[in-house]
Amino acid sequence: MIAVEDLRKEYGGFVAVEGSSFEVGDGEIFGVVGPNGAGKTTTLKMLAGLIEPTGGTATVAGYDADDPAMRSSLGFLPEESPLYEDMTPRSYLRFFADLYDVPREEATRRSEETLDRLELDHRERRLGDMSKGMKRKVAIARSLVNDPDVLIYDEPASGLDPLTTNYVLEFTRELAAAGKTVLFSAHNLYHVESVCDRVIIMNRGEIVARGTVPEIRERHGETTYHVFTTVPVEGSDRVDDGINGVDTSEERIDAPNERVDTSDGTARYRTVVAEMAAVERVRSEAESNGGAVVDIRTEEPSLEDLFLDIAGGPSTARGES
Amino acid sequence: MSGSPPLPERLADGLRDAFARLVDWTRKTLRVARWETSRTADVFDRKTAGAALLAATLVGLFSVAALSTGGAGVALDENIYRVGIAPDSPYYDAVEESQPLAVHPPDESALRDGEIDALVSGNEIEHADSDRSRAAAAATRSAVQTYNDRRMLSEENRTAAYPVVVEIRYATRGDVSTRRGTSGESESAASTDSTADGASSASDSESSSAGSSDQQSGDGAAVADTGDDDSDGALAVPDIGGGGALFGGQSSGSPADIAPPFPFGSLVLAFAFLVPVNFVIQSYGSTMLNERINRRGELLLVAPLSPTSIVAGKTLPYALAILGVTTLIAVLVGGGPLSVAAVFPLALAYLAATFVGAMFARSFKELTFVTVALSVFITTYAFVPAIFTDVTPIALISPLTLVVRDLQGAAVSAGEYAFATGSFYFGSGVLFLLGVGVYREEDLFTQRAVPLKFLDALDSRLSGKRSVALLSALFIPFVFVAELLTVAVLFALPIQLSLPLLLASIAAVEEFAKSIHVYAGFAKNRFERSVSTAVVLGTFSAVGFFVGEKATAIIQLVDLPELALGEAAFATSGIPEVGATGALGLLFAPLLLHVVTASLTAIGASKNRLLYAASLVVAVAVHTFYNLAVVVAVA
Repeated sequence: MIAVEDLRKEYGGFVAVEGSSFEVGDGEIFGVVGPNGAGKTTTLKMLAGLIEPTGGTATVAGYDADDPAMRSSLGFLPEESPLYEDMTPRSYLRFFADLYDVPREEATRRSEETLDRLELDHRERRLGDMSKGMKRKVAIARSLVNDPDVLIYDEPASGLDPLTTNYVLEFTRELAAAGKTVLFSAHNLYHVESVCDRVIIMNRGEIVARGTVPEIRERHGETTYHVFTTVPVEGSDRVDDGINGVDTSEERIDAPNERVDTSDGTARYRTVVAEMAAVERVRSEAESNGGAVVDIRTEEPSLEDLFLDIAGGPSTARGES
Repeated sequence: MSGSPPLPERLADGLRDAFARLVDWTRKTLRVARWETSRTADVFDRKTAGAALLAATLVGLFSVAALSTGGAGVALDENIYRVGIAPDSPYYDAVEESQPLAVHPPDESALRDGEIDALVSGNEIEHADSDRSRAAAAATRSAVQTYNDRRMLSEENRTAAYPVVVEIRYATRGDVSTRRGTSGESESAASTDSTADGASSASDSESSSAGSSDQQSGDGAAVADTGDDDSDGALAVPDIGGGGALFGGQSSGSPADIAPPFPFGSLVLAFAFLVPVNFVIQSYGSTMLNERINRRGELLLVAPLSPTSIVAGKTLPYALAILGVTTLIAVLVGGGPLSVAAVFPLALAYLAATFVGAMFARSFKELTFVTVALSVFITTYAFVPAIFTDVTPIALISPLTLVVRDLQGAAVSAGEYAFATGSFYFGSGVLFLLGVGVYREEDLFTQRAVPLKFLDALDSRLSGKRSVALLSALFIPFVFVAELLTVAVLFALPIQLSLPLLLASIAAVEEFAKSIHVYAGFAKNRFERSVSTAVVLGTFSAVGFFVGEKATAIIQLVDLPELALGEAAFATSGIPEVGATGALGLLFAPLLLHVVTASLTAIGASKNRLLYAASLVVAVAVHTFYNLAVVVAVA
């Protein structure tokens, strides 16, 4: 549905996007992640036909991105979508339906249906009098007024409260389930991880990682093993006593600092290693010291950890997360 | 045998496609226009709209009523002086008919007591020793004079009423100074003039007489006639109203009554056309800038619309509103279709300038500054020349002159219409073209200083060397306007001073027009910064400018070249009368000049801003020197 080949954008001497290539299939939710200035929005706008690429090609729904005919198949939601505040949601949606050549009855039916699904009441209230969340819902409804095959959403949940955010994310999933292809950009990596099928991570105009989140994790992330022993070994730390109720039979946990059951009065020592071979070394050393391994837990990096690692540290993106 | 379809079929297909695209474009444009109208209407609630309509109607009615009184105004000076006069006095009617005077019984004690301000006693006017009383006596004398003038005008025997006929001819300053050089020569020259021009003198006299006998006739129509007769370069007698304007509306009177021809009434009415335009462009500028604030217009750009559809659709309601108001005003003040047709290109220029201003401005504050500056410039450009409607053909640089002439009942030729409005139509088109060039995401929402936005707009229309030539040609309307404005500003100065100033100004305008877009291209890294590229671009710019410059031959349609300054200003653009070889030389010499100077500035532009400015100064100097040489050669 979307094919990008060696896309490039240069402003004067500044390269905003360099050699981006990726494909997005039908009904897929595709995430674009990166710190500020990474080239995400520029990439999305080139796909929406708003910005002319300096080089490369981009096709959307079978059209070149700069072909005006493509726009009828596209629903675009910019990061900030100020509305015509003197209009009402109904008149606003009718206006855009008119621009997209949607017949009046069909436009009315479609708009009302979308507003119902988005649970937006007050359809005759001036947009200028509405809350940010309500306006965002109207903007989303506007992106669907022409029943597009492709949706490009730039930060769809930006600035919304958690409730509305979850609603928007859920709605995005529903759209993909209905067969729409969604290109999704967000600073909040949890949002991306929770809705996207595949992701690209951009930094300084280039794609630095791509694939499903597990694939990226496998390729770029580092799995660590937390080995708990009853005796100290080289490089181990003593784990605090007196913790209740942790099921040590769990092989994997997400939180590595979870406390360990020491209710039997025996001290516990933790050694963090990066390879299974090292786990065997710890086991041998513990047994040779008269102890034993009582627990082994694995820790996998989140998308945020991967992103920070790939994009070059917390300073690049923390502020927006 | 397979192959492409035959040519007629391909042509037909091409035409069908073009027509379908045009229909689609029009449909979408009208759709945007409809929504723009609807949105604008929604902004105003009914009470506001009603109040505005009422205020506009009242102002309109008041203006029309005030003007329809023919200068009598609203009679603020009615009955301000009390004059004692007997009913059998020969001056009774004069006092009784006078607006500021109130008739009272003649009584000397009343004058002493201050119950009356003046007393008519026999042939004397008595007054008390006070300012008011003296003013009353003066007003009485004036009333009698006016009354006598009216009586003389209504006299059937014109020779008896006006035994002396004086013909007044306006002359250029140069002629005046020559004739004053030596008294003998001056008289001789004057008499030679009279003799040589005997036939036309007689004809003029007849025309004057005719004017005298029919003071209502021919506002303006006679201007062109008399101007045509003035082949010696002297300006025509502005025989407006049969010479009536010379005497403040009368064709006869005393020499003290002679006043320069000034079409006050028509001019004020013509100005009334511009007032609503200024209100409409405020709203228009606001809606265009509103699209840029907070990236509001981004969603229209991503809709299946072209930027031209969006801009045309958003402009159309305002253009139609101006057209409607203009038509209404024309009906109210007695103008015809010519007034509407003359104001429309002016309104387009206002809209185009406002649109470009809205594209360049970074905030409403900046837009207000830009809009007011442009509005003042266009209004001045339109209004000031129109003051000289009855004096000089240069007044035709303003479409408002056409309105004045329309209101005076004078005819306007198609050539004069084209001359007065052509630069406005073309200029507006070019401004819209430049504005639409930056009506795209990359420019619309960026915050840059106005001069940089101007360079962006120029750069948006550049694609290669041919586009450089095209832009140079498209700048001709602005060059034309600037040169005409310079002529208008300088024509009142002595020729010894105005001519060099004019030639230097023209050189500066032309060199700027030939180079600024080349500089924009280099500044935006569109062109390779090398001397060879600069020379090629300079040459293309020069050729484009040269071809476009020939369009200024439109001045042949009016009498402008008969002005000494007009001749100097446009000597290089028309076909001068210097023989075939000389004509060819003068035809291609400008091309050579343009190539040299445009290449020079292009080389400067390819380096940096400072060198561009320096090269521009040098180019202007070279051009000025060339202009002086041509004027000397032609003279």
